[in-house]
Amino acid sequence: MPTIDETMTDEDLRTYEFCVLYPSNLSQKEEVDLLKEIEKIIEEQGGKQVSKDIWGKRGLAYKIKGHDEGNFVVYHYIMDPTTLKEIDIALRITPNLLRHIIVKPPKGYRILKYSETYETWLKEREGEEDRKKKEKEEKLAQRVAEKAKRQVKRAAAKKEEEAPAKKPKADKKKISEELERLISDDDLDI
Amino acid sequence: MSRNQQRRPDPRHKKCKFCLKEIAYIDYKDYPTMRPFIDYFGNIMARYYSGVCLKHQKMLKNSVERARFMGMMAYRK
Repeated sequence: MPTIDETMTDEDLRTYEFCVLYPSNLSQKEEVDLLKEIEKIIEEQGGKQVSKDIWGKRGLAYKIKGHDEGNFVVYHYIMDPTTLKEIDIALRITPNLLRHIIVKPPKGYRILKYSETYETWLKEREGEEDRKKKEKEEKLAQRVAEKAKRQVKRAAAKKEEEAPAKKPKADKKKISEELERLISDDDLDI
Repeated sequence: MSRNQQRRPDPRHKKCKFCLKEIAYIDYKDYPTMRPFIDYFGNIMARYYSGVCLKHQKMLKNSVERARFMGMMAYRK
């Protein structure tokens, strides 16, 4: 069983990611105070800020304490792993804070600003939706055209069927006329 | 011949989409990459259908659960 080494050196510092969610209906002053408090809590324990990514207002997938919308902020800090628990406890009792999460990104993790990528993705998706709509419409138009063609063909086939059907009728008439003539012919001796 | 043509491709022969891109970590903030593996009701798709390997399925599960906790993704639609 591996034992935890109590003596930490500078090499044992790691990058940690803090994601914070707070309601969007806070006043500006409250918002600034809250963010300052969060940063103070982390920095008191010896964290060094690497990046700060403000996502802005986002809709939530489900209601959290009656809030439909919230603001996300993602921090990256270089810090000592042993102080993590105290930060977690302190964040848990911070007022106006809906959710927080502390994640240890893997080695070689590249910090990306998701506030930008999300917006570009939203735009791309809109473009894709338009394209899909267009494709659907094109397909529908094609199907309608094919159906019309088939109907025309069917109508033509029906006409062709009806045309030869009339001929035998005429033939019958002619035959009957001829028969009658033959019968009425007095020269015939049977 | 005709029998083979009618048969559907075996779902077991799918390749893991994360392995093809050599992804080492699935971020819980990255909704667009997780979306294709979530069904309409918000459940994670089974490995049998999506073709994801076990290693990446575990990563996916972790990141989806984090995203759900933070309200970025629905537990149940």
